[in-house]
Amino acid sequence: MTQARRNSISGYLFIAPQFVGFLVFVLGPIVAVFVFSLQSRSLLTGESTFIGLQNFRRMFFEDGLFLVTMRNTLVFAGGLVPANMALALGLALALSRGRRGVGFFRTVYFAPVVTSAVAWAIVWRFLLEADRGLVNQYLSVFSITGPNWLREPGWAMLSVIVNRVLKNLGMNMVIFLAAVINVPGEYYEAATLEGANAVQRFRHVTFPHIMPTTMMVLVITLVGSFKVFDTIMLMTQGGPGHATTVLVYYIYFQGFRVFRTGYASALSVVLFVVVFALTLAQWSARKRLSHYET
Amino acid sequence: MRREIGRKPADGAKLVSPKGSGSPSVTPGRLRVFLRALVSSRVRGRLVWYLVLAVIAIPFFLPFWWMVTSSFKTATEVFADPSFFPSAWRWGNFIDAFRYQPFARHYFNSVYIAVIVTVATVLISSLSGYAYARLRFAGRSLLFVLILSSLMMPSEVTIIPNFFLMSFLGLTNTHWPLILLAVLGAHGALSTFIMRQHFLMIPGELEDAARIDGLGNFGIFLRIAMPIAGAAISAVTILTFLHSWNLFLEPLVFLNELRLFTLPLSLNNFRDAYGVPLWHLQLAATTMSVVPILVVYIMAQQKISSALAFSGLKG
Amino acid sequence: MVGRVLWIVGVLACVVAVGLFGAGAQEVEDPDAPVDLRFTVWTGADSHLQLLNSIAEDYSQENPNVSVEFATIPFADYVTNVTVQLAGADKPDAGWLVETNAPEFIQAGVARDVRSEAERYDMDDWFEPALELWRDGDRLYGLPFSTSPFLILYNVDLFEEAGVPTPRELSARGEWTWERFAEVSQAIREETGVYGFQTMDGQGFDIRVWHTLIPIMRSYGTDVWDEDNNVTLNTPEAVQAVQLFHDMVFQDESVVPPGDRSDFYVGDAAMTVGQISRVPQLEEADFEWSMAVMPEGPAGRGDVIGQAGVVAYSAGEHGDIAADFVGFMTNKENVARLAEFFPPARKSVLESEEFLAANPDIPAELMREVVADSIQVGRVLTPHVNFSEIDLESRGAFDELWRRDADVQAALDRVAEVIEPLLRQ
Repeated sequence: MTQARRNSISGYLFIAPQFVGFLVFVLGPIVAVFVFSLQSRSLLTGESTFIGLQNFRRMFFEDGLFLVTMRNTLVFAGGLVPANMALALGLALALSRGRRGVGFFRTVYFAPVVTSAVAWAIVWRFLLEADRGLVNQYLSVFSITGPNWLREPGWAMLSVIVNRVLKNLGMNMVIFLAAVINVPGEYYEAATLEGANAVQRFRHVTFPHIMPTTMMVLVITLVGSFKVFDTIMLMTQGGPGHATTVLVYYIYFQGFRVFRTGYASALSVVLFVVVFALTLAQWSARKRLSHYET
Repeated sequence: MRREIGRKPADGAKLVSPKGSGSPSVTPGRLRVFLRALVSSRVRGRLVWYLVLAVIAIPFFLPFWWMVTSSFKTATEVFADPSFFPSAWRWGNFIDAFRYQPFARHYFNSVYIAVIVTVATVLISSLSGYAYARLRFAGRSLLFVLILSSLMMPSEVTIIPNFFLMSFLGLTNTHWPLILLAVLGAHGALSTFIMRQHFLMIPGELEDAARIDGLGNFGIFLRIAMPIAGAAISAVTILTFLHSWNLFLEPLVFLNELRLFTLPLSLNNFRDAYGVPLWHLQLAATTMSVVPILVVYIMAQQKISSALAFSGLKG
Repeated sequence: MVGRVLWIVGVLACVVAVGLFGAGAQEVEDPDAPVDLRFTVWTGADSHLQLLNSIAEDYSQENPNVSVEFATIPFADYVTNVTVQLAGADKPDAGWLVETNAPEFIQAGVARDVRSEAERYDMDDWFEPALELWRDGDRLYGLPFSTSPFLILYNVDLFEEAGVPTPRELSARGEWTWERFAEVSQAIREETGVYGFQTMDGQGFDIRVWHTLIPIMRSYGTDVWDEDNNVTLNTPEAVQAVQLFHDMVFQDESVVPPGDRSDFYVGDAAMTVGQISRVPQLEEADFEWSMAVMPEGPAGRGDVIGQAGVVAYSAGEHGDIAADFVGFMTNKENVARLAEFFPPARKSVLESEEFLAANPDIPAELMREVVADSIQVGRVLTPHVNFSEIDLESRGAFDELWRRDADVQAALDRVAEVIEPLLRQ
């Protein structure tokens, strides 16, 4: 047997467990979700019938809640992503200055990342209680009457966004920190010699170097924000009203609460399309930006 | 990490505790020193730096503190006053949490599932990652693109068909879906990708030398490639463990029986039969689920955050 | 080569996808094998479970190959969880079912016909109206194990402290109206600083919103919807009723508001709506408590009965045995035992002295006055085949109602708009 042939057999054997599993539990189900999306299925009765594109018609033209859900999903992502990225980058820059206490702060900011989202949401739900929650008790010290955070539409959305930012910020911060530290020191020295101030150094040295990382962090954070579920489920159950009903929560609601698994599959198709588009966008951006990579 | 080494802090900075805010016992003498220190703009910059970071740290730190101290309080005391210490330390809450539901069992479930998932993921994804990186076979790049394209696909997309699949296979209300979907789903694809990126960097000469020594492909993978893949393996290990440990939607959908619950479900289940939460028990249980992980993290934080940064840079 | 790989991948993916269409594995029943029945309930109270287990043990005595295990699912997740289990691989065999979801489950074919099993245990003894919900033509899809009127539980100490007459006293004088209810609630709030009233289990603004609205609406002469599926929760009577309650919450501030965790059972509120099954929660109460009927409105009493039945799931593996156990569980003897917490719908039990003494914590005269009499006149919570959807989809609209500045009429109109199409589906 030639080496090439041996390599090729080993290659297939090596990838087999992962790839077969991938076919069965990822690719097959993705095909299935498209098929289900053309059906009316009920979890309660177990019946399923082919109904063509009716689920999608219902989604875009009849189901007002779907539009609300999409708006909420965008508001959530639009609030979370910039806040997360800006803070993560800001903290990474601050911590890259290697002062005493850096380790302490990094540990604190990162701690929620290793905490489960469920635990984090449970604790924050307590802190945000209307009358007796810690947050409002502190606000009352400054004679501010805090809102009923989780039961008023705007505040509830803000609360889940902030909760989520605090939870995941540390991850992005650490990635940015590694990228910032990897920028070769000579560039800064050169820039300083040319009389560049801190802002200019960031714009012309740091930022171009961490651009690929930024793109990647952006896409990961964006995709992450589209799949939020546990925080919503534990903190607001999609309420008040439907003010925090986001896409994945709505998929769960339709599929496992009112048992319309066909319609829930159609909603899953929407999520698939959004994430797939983002993946493609990231690939093309990566290609264009790859000359910056070091 | 070469910028890590800090400059020696100026004397003035020592006055300020890392927690920032001025202490209430300010004597005039101290104040003068403090003010003089302020004169130097460098010190002032440093002071602002600490102050801002400390203020930002509050919403990260406070929830943990509140969670731990409140888990010693009575149900009514939890909401009575924003006190930072309980009036009496009720260790009983921790015992009651175990009595209320099989919390130890839930803890064990979470641990053993996370361990199996982590070990299986490391094995399977390093094998396939190695193949995509180092072995030539027909269709390699096509198959890899397929994996790559689903790298970020949330498992939420396929939760409905997977529910029917698991039901068809007779695996609902068992731990199998939590293991299979975590190891072989999108997270497995991500792990494969991380491993592949790492194996790409192995110099070819190492393999050639090993081949001359008579090692086969599996031998090279095991004896040559794996031992130098420590950084990637620890990144995959940490990411996978946390992934499995934190799963919520999957257990919610696939598990029905109380004895099969994992920690996230268990924490959410500290409610009486009418659905009213049992706050003090819930907090005690949450503390017990969070603190061990935090301790491990604090002990190994340098390693953990650099492993994760590594995975991020490779991704 | 690449083309071939792509082709194979595509075929494999499709095979997997096609495999997904088949649902539910087929199983063969072996009559001699030991049988474990799984029975779903929403109670976690030790006293309830002990009672249920002793019934199961008696059944095992008669049928040595059968054992029954009770699985507790919290009330808030009950319907979802049971449905998911029934669609999954490991199906439960029998369980409790709450009245509001009964029509839906029956129509979906989830519950199996248990008439022949029920007939073994004196069918004529059942209080006829109590079976209505579980019947469809000749078939009987379940048997009520609890026909439990809503009642007011109250904290006697707080009434004394505030110096206002208790609900029972008012009731005896014939003055126990919703207006008086609002007055005493406010008086307690003012005199003691403690809330006057908490909604049922503190969930009356969300998952138990119907339990809050239906009693008061009925005593104002209307309901949430009528038998012809017309929405009636925004009629003038309904609005008047809800306005009264809304004012209690947001003007008088005498009701534990949404999102507040004050709890009647630990002394944070003077009154709540409960049922006999809540009495075990008062075992450790450090205050004196009592109970009274629900207040009256302009249209008299609007007694509401919470009913729960026992059903055998048609998807379960051991259908016949499960159905037999359902019959056994609701025979005279067992209904009498259950009566300690779950008031019976069997005449023989309801009329017996044993029933009045069934719960040692409740004096016989209270049991007669508050429970037994109400069972005769009360009606079950308003049912509908689409209840799950109505319940879940209206919740968003109800959230608008539970705001301080809400216009009650407008908010109820909005709810009506949401539920109208669902009622008619």
